[in-house]
Amino acid sequence: MAERFAPPEVTAITGASGWLGRALVSRLLSDPSRRRLRLLAHTTAEARALEALVPRSGTTVEVVIGDIAKPDTAARLLHGTGPSVDVIHTAGIIHPTSTRQFLEVNTNGSRNVAQVALDHGVRRMVHVSSNSPFGTNPRRSDTFRAIEPYHPYYGYGRSKMLAELAVIEAIEHGLDATIVRPPWFYGPFQPPRQTTFFRLVRAGKFPVVGDGEQRRSMVYIENLVDGVIAAELTPSARGKGYWVADERAYTVNEIVETVGRALTHEGFTVKPPSTRLPAIAGHVAELGDRIVQGLGRYQQQLHVLGEMNHTIACDISVTRRELGYDPRIELYEGMRRSIRWCVEQGIEL
Amino acid sequence: MASDPRHPRLDRIVDPFAGVLLGADLPDLTLERRGEVVEFVRRRVETMPSLTRFGVTAIGVLYRLLLDVPFGSFAIRFLVARPLPILGEYPRLIRSLGYAYVWEHWPDSLPSGASR
Amino acid sequence: MITTAATPSMDAEVLVIGSGAGGATTAAILAEAGFDVLVVEEGEWVEQGSVVPFSLEQMDRQYRSGGVTVALGLPSIAYTEGRCAGGGTEINSGLYRRPPHEVLARWAAEFGIVDLDHEEVSTIADEVERAISVTTVPGPSSAPSEVLRRGADRLGWQNSEIPRWMTYPGNDPAKGQRQSMTRTYLPRASAAGARLVTGCRIDSLDTGGGIARRAITTLAGGRRGTITFRYVFVCGGAIQTPALLQRSRIRGHIGKSLAVHPTVKLAARFADELNVPDDVPVHQVKEFAPDLSFGGSASQPGLVALALSDQWATFSHAITDWRRISVYYAAITSEGRGKVRAVPGLRDPIVTYSLTGRDRAMLGSGLARLALLMLEAGADEVYPSFRGAPLVRKRSDLAAMQAQFSANKASVMTVHLCSTVPMGEDVDKCGANSFGRVHGTANVWVNDASLLPTAPGVNPQGTVMALAIRNARRFAGTERSRG
Repeated sequence: MAERFAPPEVTAITGASGWLGRALVSRLLSDPSRRRLRLLAHTTAEARALEALVPRSGTTVEVVIGDIAKPDTAARLLHGTGPSVDVIHTAGIIHPTSTRQFLEVNTNGSRNVAQVALDHGVRRMVHVSSNSPFGTNPRRSDTFRAIEPYHPYYGYGRSKMLAELAVIEAIEHGLDATIVRPPWFYGPFQPPRQTTFFRLVRAGKFPVVGDGEQRRSMVYIENLVDGVIAAELTPSARGKGYWVADERAYTVNEIVETVGRALTHEGFTVKPPSTRLPAIAGHVAELGDRIVQGLGRYQQQLHVLGEMNHTIACDISVTRRELGYDPRIELYEGMRRSIRWCVEQGIEL
Repeated sequence: MASDPRHPRLDRIVDPFAGVLLGADLPDLTLERRGEVVEFVRRRVETMPSLTRFGVTAIGVLYRLLLDVPFGSFAIRFLVARPLPILGEYPRLIRSLGYAYVWEHWPDSLPSGASR
Repeated sequence: MITTAATPSMDAEVLVIGSGAGGATTAAILAEAGFDVLVVEEGEWVEQGSVVPFSLEQMDRQYRSGGVTVALGLPSIAYTEGRCAGGGTEINSGLYRRPPHEVLARWAAEFGIVDLDHEEVSTIADEVERAISVTTVPGPSSAPSEVLRRGADRLGWQNSEIPRWMTYPGNDPAKGQRQSMTRTYLPRASAAGARLVTGCRIDSLDTGGGIARRAITTLAGGRRGTITFRYVFVCGGAIQTPALLQRSRIRGHIGKSLAVHPTVKLAARFADELNVPDDVPVHQVKEFAPDLSFGGSASQPGLVALALSDQWATFSHAITDWRRISVYYAAITSEGRGKVRAVPGLRDPIVTYSLTGRDRAMLGSGLARLALLMLEAGADEVYPSFRGAPLVRKRSDLAAMQAQFSANKASVMTVHLCSTVPMGEDVDKCGANSFGRVHGTANVWVNDASLLPTAPGVNPQGTVMALAIRNARRFAGTERSRG
């Protein structure tokens, strides 16, 4: 097991109301060694929801409202946090209305945080990146290793690559930062698009492109939280980037089958999968995505369908070895927990 | 080395084009060296496999005709700058043979072909 | 000198066509088993050391068509064939890899190869390794080789020094002697009574009713001749072997499934001088095997210029630094396949090859990973060999490199050619049976790289030799017992 820091006096978190943000906050609120949390919310409504969270063990919660794309927001987030602070930067936009938002939020936001973190002298910054700066695997049997060349997948990928480069530049100037790269998330706190995913599988209408044997790495949200915390508290992780994902990649067929089985075992009726699209449909969607993004716009379904054709698989062996990361939940169990969470929230599947 | 009697007079087809191409690419290559490189290139074309040699010769004839036309050299330079699918293979082949020869025999040549 | 002059009328019990990795081993095994063997080689005998390795002169004397051979396609893939006594073994990198166990097992299962016993092949591989002195470099490996090791180690990518067939008299790493066929199996064949004739081309085999009776030859100066024989082993390599069978009107799955290891290159410049003009790095990176592997290429200054020539406008400044530059390759196993077609009236067959979309993606990704390795190994400039390539100085340049890359703009080449007469009992997929006898014939064997059902993902010579010896021994055992 890798040597570990003790938790800092203050843990600052951007994107605290997002999918990862809420899971992370929930975890830290039950950890007595986390004394103060400084959370960034985008809107007043988000801020109120965060303030309403009940810490289970005497942790102080302070909420700051602001837009990460604005230069002064990061400074306000860290203002008065003192010398013992870690920053976990999860704020970002994946499915925007216009492509301009990619650069504003993902790139400029990350640059702002990194710069402020450097100036402030934080103990550690964890930058949550993505697989997208590295594109897709050239072949189904290929897997991304710990260090790979950049090959950004369209607007999102480019913005996340530039974000990494901004963080790396700050590292070269002395910032202690670690980059975490998660693939496709699943688990509690999921947003509405993930509900759509479950509904499609129930109806047997999830569009499987091609033969469905393309592989996708995924990460159960609690595994990701484990990985983020490990990246935060492992001294030797300074300056490095790590894949944080479930133990292995799953084929799209496997994903659809497993989700269907999880839904059934949670008491839902599931129709057998009936929607298969030829691989060309994926290529056409991807071409459409490229054209639409080239025009500065963004169409979520086109993007997701285009990406479905591809293999995106990463290898976590270095993350295991250097951070002591161990993904405890795998797909079937993780999907059952997600479904139960949806039911508890009153979300209709 | 005498030309192989089975082949058409390749020196009339290959040499002028190779000369113009190398002259454009490596302007400071001495005339004597350029002649040596061109002769090497032509010898290689003579030993190429049948179909490649036929294709190279046919395209060579095309370029040879261009040379005789007014502004022909300009047209050639324009065409070789464009990476055309089939027509582009020929200048590329001449170029690779030529460069390999120049730097194998005169490794300290400058990028323009000049000797140091 | 062990060659004899060709005559217009020759005769042998066993005719072996080609004297490379397949032909030389076949000739030695059969001659030692007591057969009367005649080896006919189209090229000349060129003594190791009488030409500079990887020079244009070597290409002139020991390569087919001066090294200018191309498989047409989009993009075309340049390839090389040996054409000399000893064939490809005289001119290749010399890197030796044992026949890969998993690949053999897959071939046996997918192509119906009978009795492909891993133990037997392994024992033969041991024998080959002794016979051609497979050994690592005594002492440290060269600086260009160290680049691969250093870069791969920093990235955590599996890599190793690959042994070569070499002897090192006096244990001096600078004085390695290639143990190619002209130094090993050809003298052995000759000592056992085989005759070797050079400068003689086989135009076709006269066949009728599945039996080949004589070969039509062309000798130096253009004279025609014939060779009569009882058995014939065609070992001309994966291009010439199917072409000859096609010219001889032998039908079947021949020339239809050419498999190669498509390769793209880059040149990289370092702070210190490191160029070794007449040798090739011994390290290979196998982290991504069998899909992708990295290694070093010949880097004499002419070849450095060639590597820079695709983007001469922006890369030419580097040529004056050639002593600090070495050339490296990324090779893939390809899903795509090609064809070899003999055309009546043309001396050489038409070769075509087609890469799949995933092959192209693999080439681009492979070249970018290789460029990353170069940066990690300390390269200050990397010059990817494709038209429109950006200069790569740091990791962020790799995104532009991948965005610009297209296989159609690169100089794709291969030095490994296989699978044009695949071996196995499945006649729909195979041109020869489990021991190399051409389907539909009684006395025609193939015993070279054409038999390998797919490109193996490693340097193929070790596999070619082991299978050739296995097949030759089986032939000797079966035919001798027939009396």
